[in-house]
Parts: sequence; structure tokens; C-alpha cells
Amino acid sequence: MATVEHKGKTFNVDEDGFLTKGMEEWSEEWVDYVKSIEGIEELTDEHRKIIDILQDYFKKNGIAPMVRILSKTTGFPLKRIYELFPSGPGKGACKMAGLPKPTGCV
Amino acid sequence: MGYDPENPMKDRITDIGPPHYEKMFPQVIKDNYGKWLYHEIVKPGVLKHVSETGAECYTVRVGCARLVSVEYIREVCDIADKHCDGSVRWTTRNNVEFMVDAESKVQPLLDDLASRGNKFPVGGTGACVSNVVHTQGWIHCHTPATDASGVVKAVMDELFDHFTNMDLPAKCKVALACCLNMCGAVHCSDIAILGIHRKPPMVDHDAITGLCEIPLAIASCPLGAVKPATVKDSSGKEIKSVKVNAERCMFCGNCYTMCPAMPLADPEGSGIAILVGGKVSNTRSGPTFSKLVIPFLPNTPPRWPETVAAVKKILEAWAANARKYERVGEWAERIGWEKFFEITEIPFTDKSIDDYRLAYDTWRTTTQFKFTSHIK
Repeated sequence: MATVEHKGKTFNVDEDGFLTKGMEEWSEEWVDYVKSIEGIEELTDEHRKIIDILQDYFKKNGIAPMVRILSKTTGFPLKRIYELFPSGPGKGACKMAGLPKPTGCV
Repeated sequence: MGYDPENPMKDRITDIGPPHYEKMFPQVIKDNYGKWLYHEIVKPGVLKHVSETGAECYTVRVGCARLVSVEYIREVCDIADKHCDGSVRWTTRNNVEFMVDAESKVQPLLDDLASRGNKFPVGGTGACVSNVVHTQGWIHCHTPATDASGVVKAVMDELFDHFTNMDLPAKCKVALACCLNMCGAVHCSDIAILGIHRKPPMVDHDAITGLCEIPLAIASCPLGAVKPATVKDSSGKEIKSVKVNAERCMFCGNCYTMCPAMPLADPEGSGIAILVGGKVSNTRSGPTFSKLVIPFLPNTPPRWPETVAAVKKILEAWAANARKYERVGEWAERIGWEKFFEITEIPFTDKSIDDYRLAYDTWRTTTQFKFTSHIK
């Protein structure tokens, strides 16, 4: 298992750069690190809103929300989510929020 | 400009789709699009299409391993450049087709193909065994129960004469999937080779927390064998995890697809099942699913002799007994599945008796049957 160091913090990540311990290891430094590799110029309130909603939903339900639920609760259409996170809600937003890597035939 | 990792969205081109297929047409196809009158199979692997304008298109079909190098593709391109004005196409069974617009161009093309060893075997037309539709196997996938390329090579080596000849009652489509996700065509093929597991998943409690969305793993189980559980990991800490009821598990591996902490592949447990009798066309009888006839054959790389022998046995029994135009499934339905098992000398096991939800309709609710003798 690889580790990533950013601003004095160490994170355990898998080969795709997702946190292997999930939200246990999640911190502001992680958000900053993912921002630097996901092609996000500036972290806005809209980014924050998506991360907060993902984390709340995961804590409550144990799964990441379906894309339609994410769109409905944030009020952002999928197009806007892609503008905020160019790699998309799975590879971009879930990674930044410290959720498990999406599985299945992806 | 080259890609700039500092500025990934700059000059990004997206949503342009595939190039229009018309751009790749050979001239004779372009000129006669939608005007074809009839076609004939000149000989195995060579088709002739005749247009209402009088134009002719000869197609030479060659087998392909599907998993190919750029070198191979370049060689295909060289052949296409030399004989077909640079046009070539791939079929839905991953054969390669070279098209020429005159009969005089066919023989030079065939000679060229033959001069390259057995790299480009001509065939795959008519009542034959064409290419095997298959999947990734141990080359690239993480959920397989068997290999794809290896088994396909072993099977096609044995059935090669049926690829280059048209000596069967009807076409026999062979497909392989390396797990019961069934990517491809195994559920609807005359003879299907399917990777299966025989052991329940092992739950890695130490890794499951960060890797797995537990409700997804539970919902992925078709039999409700996965239940949420609070367990202690190896450091003694209480964590949320899952428990697998091995009595209910039928080893489908869906939970591993959803949850990387539940692997179930096993060198002895995993292997191959054989299904037969599926088809997709509506000719004569409608499309059918293939049915399980051999529940388990071991994984025996690199040549899988048990699997090869089983496929060959089924194929030959069908070829010797079926009527003209009769596909494997149509033959088995006509003579009755008990006769199919007798003629193919496959021992019938309880594994072939459906026990999943809508199973009842697959049982025999009639006194009509034939006595068979092969099961002692």
C-alpha cells in the first residue's frame, strides 16, 4: 500500500489515489492534495457543498449517493458537477471527500 | 498543443463520438450501399456479394485472436494496402474481413494470406465454428474464475478444421466468459464455456472499512447470503463488516465485484461450466438461452484438456445427429434433453436442475419422456 505526503501529513492510498482507510484519515490537507492532482484551480463553496453532502450521506447510509441524488440534494446538474470536478463525481468528488473507491463494472 | 497537466481543461476536445463509418468504406461498398441483390459463399471464408449495378464484392474472412498487438494490426493494414486499397473491417465475432472488387483479386489475396504461416486462417463462414466470442480472463480482469485467451486458443486448435470448412448441420457459435457476469454471448451461444467458483468469499475485516460500501455488498447478493455484522478486526477493534452465510452462497462473486474485501477465486474451487443450446437469431425457432449441462471442469492451464474434450464431444455428437439447419439447441429440444445427455454421454447431475426463483417452469410437468440408458 502506497503512502502520500502532503503538507506534513501522510495518507495511505491505493493505486488509484483513494484513501484506503476512508474518512478516518480524511483531513483538510487531503482536500488540498486532491485539488492539486484533479485539475481544480480554486476550491469554492460549491466544491465544499458537494463534499459535505457526500460525507453526510456516507455517514448516514454507508454508501455514496447515486448521481441523481447528489444532483437533487446539491441542486447542481451533472454538467455543473463535472465543471467543478473534471474527473466526475466518482473519481473526483468521492476521492476528495474520502469515500471508498467506486466499485462494480466502472 | 501537447497535453498540459498543469492546465488539463485547456484545448480539451470532447463528445465528438466515433468517426462516421462511411469514411472507411471501400469504394465498391460506397457505390453499392443499399443495392445488394444476393450473395453466395464461394468457398469457406470467401463471400461474394452482387449488386443491382452488376458490381461484385468479394470478402475474405480470416480468424483473429482478438487480443492483438499493434504489430499485428499494422500487418493487417499492410495486406489491406496491398490488395484492398487500404480498407479492412472487423466482424462482430472479431474476425477480420478483406474486401476486393473483382474475382481476379481474390486469389492473390488468398496466396498472400497463406504465405504468412497460419497467422491469417481463412474461414468462419456458413455452417462452421467461427471465432469464439470471449472476455479478458487472467490477462486483465480481477473477477475471473478462469482464463479467456488460453481456453479459447486450446478449444480453437481442436476445432480448427470446423473453422476452415463448412461441414456442420448449421453454424455453431462458441463463446466464453471468465465469470458469470457473462460479458459477451455465453448466455445465448450454441456451446458456452463459463468460469465459475465453488467456494464462498473470504471477508477481509481489516480492509473492509475504507474499501467497501457495505450496503452495496449486501444488496449485490441474489440470495441474501450477505448480512451486516459487527466484528472485531485483527487489532481487536470493533468494526462494521459483513458475514457470509456459506449455506446460502452460490459463489456468484457479485459481492466481490462490489466490495474488494471479499475475494473468492481459488485454484481448486474455480473452474469451468459448459452450457449449450442458446441462439440469438429468429430463424425457425426464436432466440433461446443456453442451458447448463456440465457443472464443473477443472482449470488445467495451459491447454484445458477436459474443457476441450467436452466441447469437442458435444460438437461431434450434434454434428453426427442433427438435421440440416438445426442448431444445437433446436436439436436438443427435438430429441429431448434426456436424449441429449445420453448421446453426448454427459452424466446428468442435480446441478442442472434449476432451483432459482422461477425454477418451476423448467421442471417436467408431463409424462412424456424417453427412457435412457447411460446413467447407471
